[in-house]
Amino acid sequence: MVLTEEQRALNRDRGMSDRTTTVGRLDEVVSTPEEFDRAVSQALPVLLDRATSYTKRFLRETGQWSEDVAHEKFVLRWGAEYLERFLICGRSEVPCRPLFLLDSLVAKQHSQPEPFCYHPDLLTPLGRFLDGIVARAAISRDALIGLYHHCYGFGPGDVIALTGLNGSESQRIYKNFRRWRDSGWQRAMDEVGMTEAELNELSSRQERHPQRFNGESERLIRFAQAHYRKSEPDHYPCLSRPQWEEMFTQGYGYDYRIWHLALCLDCMQTAWALGSKGTPAVDKPRVELRVRP
Amino acid sequence: MEHERDLEEYRACLLKALTVSAHRSACSASDPIHVFVNERRAGLLDGAGAETSLQLQSHVRIDTIQLRSEDGVLLGGLSAPEFGFRTSRIALLRDTIELRVHNTAQGGSVSAIFMPAPSLWRRTWRTLAGVADAADRRPVRGMLPGVQTVALTQALLAIVVVGLAASQMTGWMTQERARSPVTPAEIPWAAPLTNVVKLEQQLGELAQMQAKAVDTIQTQQQGMAQLQGAITKLSSTQEAVASSVLTVRREMEKRQKGQGHDVERVTRLLMTKAQTEQEQLEAEIHSLIVANDKLSKDMAELEQHNQDLKKRLKSAGQEVSKAIVSDRDKPMVARQEDGAHSQPFLFWVAFGEGTSQKSIDQWVRKVRGQKRAVSGGWQEVEIVSPTIPPDRFLEQIRQTKIVKAVRIS
Ligand SMILES: [Zn+2]
Ligand SMILES: [Zn+2]
Repeated sequence: MVLTEEQRALNRDRGMSDRTTTVGRLDEVVSTPEEFDRAVSQALPVLLDRATSYTKRFLRETGQWSEDVAHEKFVLRWGAEYLERFLICGRSEVPCRPLFLLDSLVAKQHSQPEPFCYHPDLLTPLGRFLDGIVARAAISRDALIGLYHHCYGFGPGDVIALTGLNGSESQRIYKNFRRWRDSGWQRAMDEVGMTEAELNELSSRQERHPQRFNGESERLIRFAQAHYRKSEPDHYPCLSRPQWEEMFTQGYGYDYRIWHLALCLDCMQTAWALGSKGTPAVDKPRVELRVRP
Repeated sequence: MEHERDLEEYRACLLKALTVSAHRSACSASDPIHVFVNERRAGLLDGAGAETSLQLQSHVRIDTIQLRSEDGVLLGGLSAPEFGFRTSRIALLRDTIELRVHNTAQGGSVSAIFMPAPSLWRRTWRTLAGVADAADRRPVRGMLPGVQTVALTQALLAIVVVGLAASQMTGWMTQERARSPVTPAEIPWAAPLTNVVKLEQQLGELAQMQAKAVDTIQTQQQGMAQLQGAITKLSSTQEAVASSVLTVRREMEKRQKGQGHDVERVTRLLMTKAQTEQEQLEAEIHSLIVANDKLSKDMAELEQHNQDLKKRLKSAGQEVSKAIVSDRDKPMVARQEDGAHSQPFLFWVAFGEGTSQKSIDQWVRKVRGQKRAVSGGWQEVEIVSPTIPPDRFLEQIRQTKIVKAVRIS
């Protein structure tokens, strides 16, 4: 259901009244990180609305906007993302005027070729779910390891065997899995606004039409992976089968394997059997989505 | 209306997450912290709770640095200035991370130092050592564990450089100077990434190459001297390199214990470091090659010169031996002459009637003589060194027009 004109006007008005009470301080100069923290922490709703409205305007002006709840969620999500970076990094920019610093930060983001991973198909509940976990994998090692589970149904032991890890790194994989299950997954779902109802709906769709569902998932995963793989170190490109083989047999590039294989379906299907000598420890990976951790 | 409520809930949820922000990580102090530069994963602070540092260099300007926990929580960050330095101390729950960023026209560099909250025994030790105040007020850098290990750091640096140069030197000696100077691809850390990641093995190989280099070097001491000069220069002047290699060394130590197989970090460090240091190294090694090349050429020229010299000496030798022969005769002659003419030769001359005194004087000068006594129409003349035997000399005198008679005594 789309918002009515009145509701939107209401939202705007509420935003305006918030602004009149707090903007006054935000466009004044703050000189210390503590002052910055104080000023912005009292104005989070205003700042979130501001970052969100810029993102909405960006989508409008680039012809990617639609009046629906999925787009509203999308701009809220990115507004919050920008605001978080602003809260953390802005402290180091003092003395500054917080309001204009936020404006310039958002403008800088939007001046980049692909400020975020936008695709209409990623605005469906399934798309939002996948975008959420892959986006998270780009910034969280827990989520990255979680991807092995969500895409292929692998557990920690499978990941360790597949990537050919040794003792201490294995420990870390178990930790990653545990944290992802305990809190990481829920945080990622909150971040993209997946409701319990939406998650249940995904599960039942998968039960009804597993092939169609997994096929659609694979298509969207590829799309999201291609975008978020840019967060990998720039010297981690796709490799040919002999190159992967060399890496595994000569025993280097553990970090490379873990990051790239989680974020690249093609390479995963090339290198999946290299981690174990002899019989592969896992079956050839196929996308079989797991909604829950 | 349901969607409206859904959106409101979502917004409230996002705002709540922003309020608790950095305090919501489920990670502990001993978990690694990821360093993102310009929103790309760039490295790891992985001290397992102990002091650790990370140095990164980039050929592009640094815009932002972000620190994230394993669960992706943004713990802290820094916006870099267009040019120059900026530092920031990020307080985690107990520990501290100091970030330092430096942008220049050539690119940027980042250093991140993880400092755990001092433990009780450490505080006690400091108090006992009477350095508590000083240590706490000192800039963070002074407390770096690197200070104590610089020597080892430089050793590793030396290994890398020696290995690098040795492969070049081996090239010069076995192949006849056909090799071009070092190209970026030949430097391990600028090589294609798949090769670069093999650092673990390469360092082992470098050690072997060093041994080989020593053999090779002993055959060319000038090269050795130059090489050592370069290494000394590099390790003493490039503190930046040393400090980033320090991190590498610590990584290597960890790896040797079979811990933390993360070649990427090392690679990343070397690569990023190398991006700015590489040119200097290249120039250094290039000039070394050039110098060595010149040396070889000089040596060849010297050799040629030597050959020429020998040839000239040989042909000159014949002349010399001839000269020696004639010289051996000459002194004999000289001695004889000396014996004959060292004493003045005296004789008497009578001149014809009417010979003027002037004519007589002219003649005396002509025979290079000197008038002595005059007696009874005879003039005594002294000659110092006649060139012909006395008899013939007197005969010549007699035939002179104005001379009437000659006698010796
Ligand atoms: Zn790939
Ligand atoms: Zn929530």
